[in-house]
Amino acid sequence: MKSNIRGTRAPRWLVLAAACMSLGMSASPVATAEDAAPAQPAAPAQQLKGVDQDVQALKKELVDLNRDLFKLEEELLYPASTQVAVFLSVDVGTFFALDSVTLKVDDKEVAHYLYTEREVQALHRGGVQKLYLGNVKAGPHEIVAFFTGKGPHDRDYRRGATLNFDKDVGAKYVELRISDRQESLEPEFVVRQWE
Amino acid sequence: MLAAALAGALIYPLLAHSAPVVRKPAPDFVLKDTTGHNLRLSEYRGDTVVLSFWASWCGPCRETMAQLSELAAAPAVEAPVVLGVSLDGDADLAASVAASLSLKFPTLVDAKQSVGRLYDVEQLPLTVLIDRDGVVRGVWVGESAPVPDLARRIKELQSQ
Repeated sequence: MKSNIRGTRAPRWLVLAAACMSLGMSASPVATAEDAAPAQPAAPAQQLKGVDQDVQALKKELVDLNRDLFKLEEELLYPASTQVAVFLSVDVGTFFALDSVTLKVDDKEVAHYLYTEREVQALHRGGVQKLYLGNVKAGPHEIVAFFTGKGPHDRDYRRGATLNFDKDVGAKYVELRISDRQESLEPEFVVRQWE
Repeated sequence: MLAAALAGALIYPLLAHSAPVVRKPAPDFVLKDTTGHNLRLSEYRGDTVVLSFWASWCGPCRETMAQLSELAAAPAVEAPVVLGVSLDGDADLAASVAASLSLKFPTLVDAKQSVGRLYDVEQLPLTVLIDRDGVVRGVWVGESAPVPDLARRIKELQSQ
């Protein structure tokens, strides 16, 4: 992965430079055409379209480059051998209105997140939030998540869920899932590992 | 002498007034308002926002809050989003003061004063004008009524 990113960085810069050069080259004739030949509107329009396409291509290259740099940064700061990532998702969630989540790793608070209405709506629509990304040593660890919000009958509701796991060489992904338990008409809070 | 100057040079940046800085992005935060809703500053991108820090013991703050309330009640096209941030440790106290002033905008409660530290509040009231892109466009510190100046700046921003 790393070598892949490194391999693509130099060509992207070259592509960007080439795109900038092509922009510069195509932009100057537009100005000349507008100044010198206003009687031929078709040619400048085509050139403008070309410039627009170049700009769009340049934007795409920048987005790709930004994504690659982000990946590279993440791999350097959180190598797979120590990485643990915690995600949060909501399935239905009619029995629980989420207000906040507090996350502890090995009894140390690592994240506390207050959710706005818009964020809760996004989770209800299937969004998955990356709540925490950090490093832990290889070996046994404990994750505890506390969920706060409004439960059935609009009562204040606070529940905890725990996961004990062993960190090995690969990155560890953990999902906190809020779902509805139809049998008891209560919310259910599950912490599980992604394989 | 040299050591003292060096130490001063190292310590000064830590003590210096650092935020909010005009033309820099406003630090994002999320706080609970007095009705229990969580509000995040970045969710107001696209709107002109006036952020005002206050406390119940601050006399000039009450005057500013009352004037900002009038600003928030302006016709919808011209009215900015006004957010008051109470630095009182007690949410009930903040709510009762906000109710007594009949504020027409949300009052956020910064009981732990974490957002106050984020914005380096040293004097109250502190009022910050934030443009549609989330960039700080003006800061007023310790002035009881920046509203006329604020209204002019908001008009300028909205006409851009």
